[in-house]
Amino acid sequence: MDLSACIGALLPEFILLVGACVVLLAGATPPARADQGPSLTGPLALITVLVALGVTILSATPAESSLVPGLLISPLTGYVRLGGLFIGLLLVLCNLHVPVARERAEYFSMILFSLLGLLLTASANDLLVLFFAIELVSVPTYVLISLSREDRRASESAIKYFFLGAFAAGMMLYGFSFLYGSLGGHTTMIDSPHGPALSTATAALGAGSALATIGLLLALAGVFFKMAAVPFHVYAPDVYEGAASPITGLLGFLPKFAGFVAAAKLLAVFHWDAERLQVVYWVIWIAAALTMTIGNAVALLQSNVKRILAYSSIAHSGYMMIGLLVGPAIAGEGGPMRDGIAAMLFYMVVYGAMNLGAFAVLSAIARRSEPVEDLRDLEGLSVRQPMLSLALAICVFSLMGFPPTAGLLGKVYIFSSAFSVGAGHPFATPLIVLAVIGVLNSAVGAAYYLRIIATCYNKTPSETEDTTPIGGTALRWGLAACTIAVLILFLWPGMLTRNARPAAVAVSATQVETLAQK
Amino acid sequence: MDLISPWILTAIIFLPLVGAVALLLFANNAAPKRLRMAALMWSVATFLLTLWAFGLQSGGAADAHGFALTNGAGFRWLGGGDGIAGAIDIRYHVGVDGVSMWLLLLTAFLTPLAIWASFTSVTNRVKEYYALMLLLETGMLGVFCSLDLLLFYVFFEFTLVPLFFLIGIWGGPERARAANKFFIFTVAGSVLTFAGVLYIAYFQYAHGDTGTFTLSIPVLTDFASQGGFPLDVQKWLFIALAAGFAIKVPLFPVHTWLPLAHTEAPTAGSVILAGVLLKLGTYGFCRLSLPILPEGTMAWAPFMSVLAICGVIYGALAAWVQDDVKKLVAYSSVSHMGFCMLGLFSLKMAGVTGGVLYMLNHGLSTAALFLVVGMIYERYHTRDINKIGGLAKQMPWMAFFLIVFTLSSIGLPGLNGFLGEFLVLLGTATSSQASDGFTAGPLGFGYAVAAATGIVLGAVYMLWMCRRVLFGPLTEPPHTPDTSAGLTQDLTGREIGILAPIALMCVLIGVYPKPLIESLQGGIAGNILAARMVDAGDGYAGADDADADIVVVDAVPAVPIEPVEDAVNETVITLDAASAAISEGGPGVSGGGHGS
Repeated sequence: MDLSACIGALLPEFILLVGACVVLLAGATPPARADQGPSLTGPLALITVLVALGVTILSATPAESSLVPGLLISPLTGYVRLGGLFIGLLLVLCNLHVPVARERAEYFSMILFSLLGLLLTASANDLLVLFFAIELVSVPTYVLISLSREDRRASESAIKYFFLGAFAAGMMLYGFSFLYGSLGGHTTMIDSPHGPALSTATAALGAGSALATIGLLLALAGVFFKMAAVPFHVYAPDVYEGAASPITGLLGFLPKFAGFVAAAKLLAVFHWDAERLQVVYWVIWIAAALTMTIGNAVALLQSNVKRILAYSSIAHSGYMMIGLLVGPAIAGEGGPMRDGIAAMLFYMVVYGAMNLGAFAVLSAIARRSEPVEDLRDLEGLSVRQPMLSLALAICVFSLMGFPPTAGLLGKVYIFSSAFSVGAGHPFATPLIVLAVIGVLNSAVGAAYYLRIIATCYNKTPSETEDTTPIGGTALRWGLAACTIAVLILFLWPGMLTRNARPAAVAVSATQVETLAQK
Repeated sequence: MDLISPWILTAIIFLPLVGAVALLLFANNAAPKRLRMAALMWSVATFLLTLWAFGLQSGGAADAHGFALTNGAGFRWLGGGDGIAGAIDIRYHVGVDGVSMWLLLLTAFLTPLAIWASFTSVTNRVKEYYALMLLLETGMLGVFCSLDLLLFYVFFEFTLVPLFFLIGIWGGPERARAANKFFIFTVAGSVLTFAGVLYIAYFQYAHGDTGTFTLSIPVLTDFASQGGFPLDVQKWLFIALAAGFAIKVPLFPVHTWLPLAHTEAPTAGSVILAGVLLKLGTYGFCRLSLPILPEGTMAWAPFMSVLAICGVIYGALAAWVQDDVKKLVAYSSVSHMGFCMLGLFSLKMAGVTGGVLYMLNHGLSTAALFLVVGMIYERYHTRDINKIGGLAKQMPWMAFFLIVFTLSSIGLPGLNGFLGEFLVLLGTATSSQASDGFTAGPLGFGYAVAAATGIVLGAVYMLWMCRRVLFGPLTEPPHTPDTSAGLTQDLTGREIGILAPIALMCVLIGVYPKPLIESLQGGIAGNILAARMVDAGDGYAGADDADADIVVVDAVPAVPIEPVEDAVNETVITLDAASAAISEGGPGVSGGGHGS
């Protein structure tokens, strides 16, 4: 293994790493005059992500390669790079105005580190690397929350998130230790030339090893926390409410995406064997049903927009868990529509854009010089800020799953993957039931999303208090880009699905033989 | 011709969208006059284009599935997995047949009138208002042109968005509640339609021979006519699809959003809602349930028909006791749409023709009634039947139009309403017999009798309303009529210009319906009732011995369409005899017996 090939294979990751370090260092040298002039760190972070994204787009979809020990570069890596960096770009744009001058360097480098963690999660092929990658996503977010605004609530939610996150990480590690112990002492997940792996051991496993199942369940519990899935969702509303809106948009995307990718990887280790993993599948099934239902039902009762969107974020995790449960389409098991993982990956990126767009609008308007939070603050927004109101409406319609937005197509892919599993699948009927639960839930969801839109458009603004636009041009660009992305992806979903399909094949764990022996 | 035909529908669908965007690009302080003229011109241009398409459609050739003006096989929208089994093949595919062409015309005809009718009543946020009207038109036109189920669903759902804002922003005092209720009701049903649509696609992929995950309506219709969907699957799918469509129609127990939405909506919103949007539901039944799920429809038809009849009677009774004229017309919609549903579920040529005709007639007459009510409201600021009266002396033109549309609505022979009602009752009464080249339908004489009471009630409440509003001593609220917005005491030239074309159409359809009926029956025989035709080749009725519930009667007339036409022509001539007959429901049966 030579270094240059290594760097070549991981170029976007290296760009992010170098960029994050440079941004951090740029903050260490204080400017000549304190708090004077525009800071370089924000644009630097933006350029870093842009370059990484450019490199990803220009280079071909990576083939299967286990060049680097512990990592498996695959089309999944390619997809996560593409989707993650694209949303990452929007994230940086929407966050440019947030931090105070002396904390800018830390703030942007944390975003870059978190993005790096997401990219590494996609290629991790070793339990320890996976753990590190996921924590690399999460640890910077703790910092980001507390830096995002000078408010006691931000610190509170950072601490809450940190403790619960540490607890979840502990559970995950505990689960990994079970997997390690019960499956022959390997940490490599999918077979690779570097040595025997867990997936070989699971293939030989009999009708369910209790220890391995416990291990998988514990590991998934840790992952559920990242996804904000029931019963590990309780932190989400408080944390989302406490953080500044643009960071909330980030929280709804990076840890969640990493969580779903990790869950797919863990299930791939067990070959998506619904028959042998019945217990685990039922646990995920119940969690998914509860996640959707609780998320949507509780969101109905909220009056704080950020809490509404937080519960909606929980509900969307539930929809995506349907895709997770359906699993990738293995050759001969049905067409591309059956591919739950491709559906989940598509949904995730669309969700990232529409969710960030909604939060970005919230951070672009102030009332009493505070960014808006309460539903009442949005009254008559369509009169005062027609463009912001339109952007919010489009993003919220997308969350609702309404045409002409990509949110509808996300639901098309997710639900039809569940309908398409085919009678041969041991979990076919429960999956169809779950999809119907999901569809009904999206009707419930429509009710509270509609409240947001109705408040903006159908309520007359009260004359006494005025809303003022805040945030910079970058934020406007960022949220415009989110909105346009949601519309464009409706017209040309192929831009993502084209890459999502091979990415899903990469976690189907059937590529043991075809793995490039480099 | 070859250059135009594949593109004209796309142009029609998206022309209003372009117009909406163009309107939004107007300066914020643009004069309202310019904005509304631009919107009117734009919608008139769409109408002219639709007329052109109508000419092309009636003269041009249809494809193998009976659809004309298609954009070839459509453009790939959602794709993936080409070359392997189960490739996704969801397309932007548009086309029209005899049925959808007329609904397309209705939409393009009513929208300019609705826009024109808003000239004086809409004064705030003018730009957004007209942009939304045009957006709404795009959605409605798209539904009628879609030949792909997902595309259909996209347009079907999209229509909610502009109307939600139209009601919510420009509506009456309770507009927020009305808009929310309307939206939530419709979404609650349509998510089940969504699930049904996805399952249909999967089922066709898994059991059909295309090997692709397709939602093409022609492909699905073919698949269904070869008996592709087993009965139990059809029954489930019918319920899933019907959930969305029935709420839109609205069918009896789920109609409660409609009166509220109508009362609160601005006049143009009510016009479009009653005129076109309710038809999206019945059109959904026509285009999807009947051809794709023929046996499921057959199995559920009695149930749906009972609900429809409940709606007919309940709607009529509820209309009778309303004090609010607009609410009265809204409940009459519930009643009338029940009729329309009954006709569709007779599953006979006469009944379905009647049902589709009813859609068009109801679109004209109810839209016109809402327009007239709106014009009264603009002058008197009330719709309370107790506060206005004797207006015929003050507003003779208005009185003339109100009476014309009332008579059209209650089905006076010679006007359009009669024909639809008659065919619906004819089809319903003769449904249980196999005749006209079709296998026996699910309904029968009893259904027709029950529904016929609705006609009597309809005449009662509509005429009662006319009497109260138009005749008797003059009653006006204080300080009215309000002519401040440039109105006159009686209708202005603009208002007469709005109502006259509709009245003209009502008379035309009533007097000479032959071309309309022929065109409709072509579409119905080709795409909607194909599975029920006895001589449908290797079709489903005769060939499939598994379907025990389909009775094939040997007395089959040679030409399937002719008898109904005879009946139609005859009834047009013997107007008064038939109208007396209808309320008893009796002679309808003998009329239907013509063929056999």
